[in-house]
Parts: sequence; structure tokens; C-alpha cells
Amino acid sequence: MRALTRRQWLTITAAGSGLIGAMLTVPALGYLLSPLFEQRRRQSFRVGAVDHIPLDTPTPLTVGVVSGEAYDTTPVERVVYVVRKSNGRTLALTNTCTHMQCNVHWQEDLNQFLCPCHGGLYDMEGRNIGGPPPSPLPQWVHEFREEDGATVLYITNEYDESI
Amino acid sequence: MATVDREKAAPRRRRLGAIYGWIDERAGITGQLHKGLYEAVPRKGGWAYTLGSATLVLILLQLFTGIFLLLEYVPSFDQAYTSLYYIEHSDRFGGWVRGMHLWGAYVLILVIGLHMLRTALSASYKRPRELNWVSGALLFFLTLGLAVTGAMLPMDNAGYWTAVVVTNIPHYIPFIGSGLRTLWRGGDFVGPITLTRTFAIHIWVLPFLLFALIGGHLYLLRRHGEFGAWVNYETTEADPEREVVERIRRAEPPYPTTRIERRYAAPRDVTDFFPFQLGKDVIVSIVLVAVIFVMGFVFGAPLDERADPATLTYVPTPEWFYLPLDQLLVLIPQTYFIAFGIFGLMGIAATLFIVLPFIDRSPHRRPLQRPEVLLPGLFFATMVVILAVIGVNRLFSL
Repeated sequence: MRALTRRQWLTITAAGSGLIGAMLTVPALGYLLSPLFEQRRRQSFRVGAVDHIPLDTPTPLTVGVVSGEAYDTTPVERVVYVVRKSNGRTLALTNTCTHMQCNVHWQEDLNQFLCPCHGGLYDMEGRNIGGPPPSPLPQWVHEFREEDGATVLYITNEYDESI
Repeated sequence: MATVDREKAAPRRRRLGAIYGWIDERAGITGQLHKGLYEAVPRKGGWAYTLGSATLVLILLQLFTGIFLLLEYVPSFDQAYTSLYYIEHSDRFGGWVRGMHLWGAYVLILVIGLHMLRTALSASYKRPRELNWVSGALLFFLTLGLAVTGAMLPMDNAGYWTAVVVTNIPHYIPFIGSGLRTLWRGGDFVGPITLTRTFAIHIWVLPFLLFALIGGHLYLLRRHGEFGAWVNYETTEADPEREVVERIRRAEPPYPTTRIERRYAAPRDVTDFFPFQLGKDVIVSIVLVAVIFVMGFVFGAPLDERADPATLTYVPTPEWFYLPLDQLLVLIPQTYFIAFGIFGLMGIAATLFIVLPFIDRSPHRRPLQRPEVLLPGLFFATMVVILAVIGVNRLFSL
């Protein structure tokens, strides 16, 4: 048998390693990156009637929300802060702080939303007014439906702004 | 001589000796042990040099208690908490094992900190031991990664909100940040995939890298020998140059160290690793493991209420070793500063820390002769302490 030259040996080894590398990398990388290309299964959830909610008072309602991601089918309780403005507008705010995504809560006496994690502050309409949050509280993508004379809030499993 | 002794010994011992002899002939255990145990180490300051072996013992303890937790914990979004509740409340010794895993992590981080402090103060990282420091610094970051991924796994309120905040941090990286967050979480929200990915990182990815790097770290230690500190290199004779030359001539392996200033090539007095250094190592390790054993039993590990993504009252708080970083998050306002603060500031600090041996190139070893390292170090330490104090204040006023 003829002996391999150094160049031939290197070519075969490099090609072989490259082939093995590609065979290992392509499926593994695709598997790892798949969440980037996955679409959320959009679903709607009935929160409840909002007519009784006092004006200009952010009021937390809870509803089981399925994230619609991966194989997740279990509803998880989430908060909707319903804000009925005296000007007739009604907001369905998420309570996810735009800084590090902790839950904010409404402080009645101070007239503000506070995030306990790093002290982020928002006003009644969710505008960021203090602390580190970079943007306002997003709303749930939502709609109001008239049912038997009552205004009922439905939200989807999406925020109207990505944070 | 030896054959005579062996013939006099009891037959049982002779049989055992024969078995060992058979194995040793094939595996070469005695030779390796001899090589490992009778290596020269600096005589003075042995207690300070126990911290590295203590770190190794504590990491092995984490592996040990971690494997036991794996026997019952399930990384399922729905059942992780339930399985831990079972470990804590129904399994007779589960709470103790879990307590040892948590306190083991606490003590490990403290001991690594002391190990690094010792190395930094004695400038042991200088040529040719730069890579010992670099691998050690990377090991430190891997340990912090293990600590934070471990904190997410219980899926109680503390774990869940740690997962939310920590997996959110990458999204402040410009351009690729949001994608990284999605990859870690397996979606936009913390959910089932977040837990399995974090779990895989905690039990396989990081430990694999950790043990590979530990191998390299120990190989480098053995290759260059323990540096010790300036106290091991003092000269007493009238002609220091002659004393140093004599020391190098009589040095035992692994000394004299090459590629180093002559006076630091071999310590003034050495002793064999076995028995005195190893004895000190064992004593320190026993004390530390005993502390973990007791703390794990007395205080255990906390398990909050089941994770509640709708909570309006739960106040997420970071583990104590992340408090300074958490306080930095409070103090840095707005988007661009957040990105700069977290990745710029932390990145610069971490990089400076890793490349310390390439910055500190003076021939000096005493801390007071290296103000260019000591003062920035003290400044950094002061900042960390101030951030921690402000942080503690904030948490107690909530």
C-alpha cells in the first residue's frame, strides 16, 4: 500500500472532522434555536365584567392564561389591572414590570404602581415615572364584548408591546 | 529485608498484600501515590494553602448531595415544587440533604472567595502561573452560574422570580439579547422549557465545564508547584545571590520553577505534601463539611409557597452573594444605562479580574509593594460592600 503524504493525511482528517462537526452541529443547533422560530398559539380568555369597577382605580382581576408556548397547556393565574378612566377609556394593563419583569402592584395611598424588586414606579395609566423601568407597562392584547348588557373583558395570551 | 518482614506477617495480611501487589503491578498505584504525596510544598503558611483543596472537597460534596437530590426532584414546571415539598416534608432526611446542598453552596462561595483573596494578596498568579489564575477565575464564574441556576430550580416563589429576573437580564444585550432570552426561556415567558433548560445547564453543562477546568487547574498547580507567598522566599545570608543559587541547586521537584525571577524559583524551606500539608487540608475540609452538616440540619434550605405568577404581595429578594449586583440594578436607570451598567461595567470588571496576571507585571510580591493592584482591589471591594449595605437597607425597609 502506498504511504499517505502529509498533505493527503491532513486533507482527509480535516474533511472527516468537518463532516462529523457538521453532522453534530446542524441538528443540535437547530434543536437549540427552535424556540426562536416558534409561533405562539394565540388564545382568548374571559376575564369578567368590568362595569362595576370604580372609576380611576386600578383594580386587579385574575384569569388563568395558557402561555401557548412549547407544550404548555396548563393555565397559569395572571393579573389584569383594569383601569376605568373617567374620560371613558378602559385599560387592561399587565402587571409585568418592564425592568426585570417582576409583578408590580397598585399603591392606593401613593397613587402609583410599585415594583418591589428594584423600585420601579408607574402612574395610573402605566407610564413609567420613576426608578429603573425603561418603558411603560404594556397592556394585554384585549377586547371588550357586550354580553347580556354587561361589558366583559377578554384578553389574549399576548402583550401589546414586547418588553 | 522486605521479604523477611513479609514472611513474618500473619498469613491474612500476606494474602491481602499479594492481592495489592498483583493490582499494583498492573495499575502502578504505589508509584502514582508516591509521586502525588511526596511532592515538595512550601513549609511556611500551610494553613493558607488549604483553601484550594477545601474548594475541591466542597465541589465534590455539591456533586454528592446534588446526585441525591436528583433521586427525587423532577424538573417539571407543574411538579418540581411538589417533589421538593415531598423531599422537605415527607422524606425523613430529604430536608437535611437539601440543606447541605444549599449550605454547601454558601460555604463553597465563601471559600472560593478566600482562596482567590489569598492568591491575589500573595501574587501567586505571576509568571509562569498566569493560567492557574485564569482557569481559577473562570471556575469562580462557573460556580456563580451554578449557584444562580440552582436557585431557580425549586419553582417556589423565590425560585420562580429568580428565574424571571435572571433570564430577563440577557435581553438588555444589544441586538441579540431578546433572542438569547427566548432561547433560555424557550419562549417569551418563564415556562416548562425554561425549567428543563436551566436544569440541564445546572446538572450537566456547567458541571462538565467545571470538572474539565478543575483538571486543568490541578495539572497546572502540579506542573509549577505551589508558589506560597513572599514569606517563603526571604533570604537571611549576607550574600542573598549565593543563597538563592544554592536553593535552586538543592531544589526538589517540582521546583525550581522556570520562567520566574531567580529568587522566586524555589522556596526557602519545603516539606512533603504528605503528611503535614495533607493533614492540614484534611482538617480544614473536615471542619467545613461539619459546618455544612450542622447548618444543613439546623437551618436546612427554605422552601417558599408554590410559585404564584399572579402574586401582588411577594417581594423577590436575591441570594446574599448577588445582592450587590441586584442593588446595582436598582441604581442604574433607563434602557441604555441598564445595558451599559450590566454588561459594560460587569464585563469590564470581570475581564480585568480574569486578566489580572497580565496587568500586574511588576516583580514585586508583597501587597504593599503593589499599590497599583491593591488600591483598585480595595476600591472594588469597598464598592461591593457599599452596594451590599444599601441593598440590605432597602430589603429591610420593604
